Amino acid sequence: MCQNQVAAKNHLKPIAYQVEQIIRQTAQEYIFRITCSEEVKPGQFYEISLPKVGEAPISVSSITANYLEFTIRKVGKLTNYTFQLKAGDTIFMRGPYGNNFPLEKFKGGNLIVLAGGTGFCAVNSLLEYYYQNYNQLKSLYFLTGFRNQASILYQNRLAAYQAKFTQTIYCLDEEVKAGFKQGFVTDYLKELPLNKLQDYYLVIVGPQPMMDAALKECKQLNLALEKIWFSLERRMSCGIGKCGHCKIGDKYVCVDGPVFNYSAIKNLID
Amino acid sequence: MEKKNIDIDVSKLTSNCFRQSKVKGECMLQMRVPGAVIKAEHLKYAVEIAEKWGNGDFHLGTRQTLSIPGIKYEDVSAVNKFLQSYIKGVEVDTCGVEMEVDSNGYATIGARNIMACIGNKHCLKANVNTTELARKLEKQIFPSPYHIKIGISGCPNDCAKGHFNDFGIIGLVKPEYDYERCIGCGKCVEACQGHATRVLTLTEDKKISKDSCCCVGCGECIVACPTGAWRRNPQEFYRVTIGGRAGKQYPRMGKMFLNFVTEEVLLKMLANWESFSADVLNHKPVYIHGGHLIDRAGYYNFKDKILAGVDLNPEAEVADHIYWAETEYRANIHVK
Amino acid sequence: MAFSLNYQKIDDILAKLSSDYDIYAPVRLVGEGKFSATDRIQYDKITRAEQIVYNEKSDFSPREIISPITQTLFYFTENEFIENLPESRSIIIFARPCDINAFKRLDKIFLENGDFADSYYKSRRDKVHFALLDCKGGWESCFCVSMGTNKTSDYSLAVNFNSKTVEIEVNDSSFNKYFNDIKQCSYQYNFVKKNKIEVELPEIRPEQIEKISDLQIWQEYGQRCKSCGSCTAVCPSCSCFTTRDISYKENKKAGERRRVWASCLHPDFTEMAGGHSYRETAAARIRFRTLHKIYDYKKRFDTVNMCVGCGRCTDTCTQLISFATLLNRLSQEIKKLSVLEEGVEYVSKSSSS
Repeated sequence: MCQNQVAAKNHLKPIAYQVEQIIRQTAQEYIFRITCSEEVKPGQFYEISLPKVGEAPISVSSITANYLEFTIRKVGKLTNYTFQLKAGDTIFMRGPYGNNFPLEKFKGGNLIVLAGGTGFCAVNSLLEYYYQNYNQLKSLYFLTGFRNQASILYQNRLAAYQAKFTQTIYCLDEEVKAGFKQGFVTDYLKELPLNKLQDYYLVIVGPQPMMDAALKECKQLNLALEKIWFSLERRMSCGIGKCGHCKIGDKYVCVDGPVFNYSAIKNLID
Repeated sequence: MEKKNIDIDVSKLTSNCFRQSKVKGECMLQMRVPGAVIKAEHLKYAVEIAEKWGNGDFHLGTRQTLSIPGIKYEDVSAVNKFLQSYIKGVEVDTCGVEMEVDSNGYATIGARNIMACIGNKHCLKANVNTTELARKLEKQIFPSPYHIKIGISGCPNDCAKGHFNDFGIIGLVKPEYDYERCIGCGKCVEACQGHATRVLTLTEDKKISKDSCCCVGCGECIVACPTGAWRRNPQEFYRVTIGGRAGKQYPRMGKMFLNFVTEEVLLKMLANWESFSADVLNHKPVYIHGGHLIDRAGYYNFKDKILAGVDLNPEAEVADHIYWAETEYRANIHVK
Repeated sequence: MAFSLNYQKIDDILAKLSSDYDIYAPVRLVGEGKFSATDRIQYDKITRAEQIVYNEKSDFSPREIISPITQTLFYFTENEFIENLPESRSIIIFARPCDINAFKRLDKIFLENGDFADSYYKSRRDKVHFALLDCKGGWESCFCVSMGTNKTSDYSLAVNFNSKTVEIEVNDSSFNKYFNDIKQCSYQYNFVKKNKIEVELPEIRPEQIEKISDLQIWQEYGQRCKSCGSCTAVCPSCSCFTTRDISYKENKKAGERRRVWASCLHPDFTEMAGGHSYRETAAARIRFRTLHKIYDYKKRFDTVNMCVGCGRCTDTCTQLISFATLLNRLSQEIKKLSVLEEGVEYVSKSSSS
């Protein structure tokens, strides 16, 4: 017989929250601001749960005392339905789930954040944290890239980050625009003064091909791979280590991640 | 022509299951193998006849008979005497045919050898035991002087080509869907799309919806289902096609006559064939394809007579009309 | 204590037990097998001893009793979630050691992984008592001894059915009351000590994983596998599921949230919104399932392997893939890797120790 006594709460049961505001980012991406004062750490995610539609794991893109923000891209059944919500509507969620970026470890260090496309959503809470607590780092380098002008996220924050952080590099894959370099964001890693940074940590978040390219670049630049953190995205049904969809090797992205140090996943094959 | 002084009654020879050869003085024996399955020990008869009285060759008959060419007319009676134990072993002991077996060989060629695929004793696709059915039918049709060709297949693939026989019999299953066991993987939908009639679709709820109208009863969905959500209904069913034939003038593929009938209905229906034939042919058992017989009688007349006294099972469907489609090497055949 | 009973008496006891327990055992569905003229043996509620198929391995495992194939988690009206968590009755499951050990594997996932217990699983699992079925020596595809799952102490009753009599060992005193006035005997459950096949499990070092995943063997099995997922459906230790919401046709505003079993052999198992999939080939999926069953799970929980060697995946595979043979071949390939590339002598360790 099983002796586990943790079962009092049904962890699959979502809780109702209120949509405070919906902010259009691009044609495909909206920010959903949800009234919520739960303690959430940068890197964590919630299961957004729409009755009769389904559930999907969405990372928290902004954390404040009174609300959370989720930047949702219209790609599937659930996210399509989410786009029909209005301010004042009820939204169901479960969470927060997963681990978070190792803020303690980064303390006093030089941090490089490399985000591709919607990967920005997963690191924005981290960037906002350091925007507020900039004294916790020696320096912060932020590199992000988008496909084209139409897919640029967080326009106003890009400017704020540029003003505050040590260095920012923004680029577009396909178009030319003032203030943006052209090409893939991974190509600009080598422009950072890496040899001057004795001690640095690197956060890489983006679509799988972008993360693969970034890792390759890091290897070419002889960066210390054990100082790289990734945030992974996988299909999930439960978010709490039961459904099995997000398992890679002996790791479950939902409970062991989504943030992984390179050394924890280098021996994992999808 | 070989210059030989031969005097043989060819039609008697034929009804004794020996076929005249172009080689004057020779003929070919056709040994019945109902349902195309016999014990291996019975093969020894074919070997011995071929080596002792034939020309040493052995032919797999196109109706699944064991055929021995090159038998001399003068040896026919010796061969018939030797055949006695084969006929008894296969027809009486194996199929339970009620007849006296003497040393004169086969009494008639009227009802032709019943063809069949290997069926569910072996085949993954088959829905019925074709061998047992063939033996039950052999008991029913043999030795009748009236011509009838039957082909039995275990599933709608119809490997035994029943569609080109007077009666094509096809084993069917009625799959039962268990909603709770279904995980919505769509493997049955893929199988039905790939192998059958595309009657399955995955619903919005990720369960299965079926358009029963056109389910051919093949059972591919059952084999494809990983969780056993499609259950095999243990009741076996049959489809019956009629009027198929080959031939020089207007070959045609048989058309569906009955769908989802039970074995009981099938056997009772076929038991009426002899009286139907006798009726149409004025009690003269001449060689004529079943399809022509049905044409001569007219489909509605045929339907009434062949289904006389048959209680259809609730699932059974009967063709209202039949729209034949011949390949007309000889034109305007239905204009009289 | 052990008792010997005739079928009349055992039915009387089953009747008494039925008032306190739901009793599940493998039953025969005559003619309902995958292929024509074959039977299907799967678990169902029983009330009489003659329903129990005691001398054959069941096609499906008992896991569906505790983790149903389709399970409704919530009902919803427009804006309300209503839990579907009815109080479970106590349950007796007639099962063999491999299947009882498989429940321990499921427990790890459903009750421990992620530090949350799954309420739905737990509500039923807490009520389970096992009645150990005698294996009668086991079957050709079994390899429980290699997996160390041929034994268990987690049973309330152990039962040996014979044609006329039934011998029962009572291993849980709370069941004594059902056996008043029954003739005692000296029956003791016989655990299988040797299977017809033995499986040598590979010794895998984490840094070898990339090389192992590149082995040609996966391509070969990937060519043969049709990704039907039958192996996962019959597996007693598979636990994966997918959550699905539906709305009722009659009233679109109401609906339910369900979970249904999922299979890592199906191509959409890793498919994300937008269409990207992480394991697109059958080869990758077989590799994933195999390593999960004999490496990943054990490594994660620092315990036994997930596979219990019941051999049902081998029994059900229409492409005739034997999981035992696959494992033995894999072990050989990994030995070659170890010898060739690391220059170290491979040392075999018994998995069942």
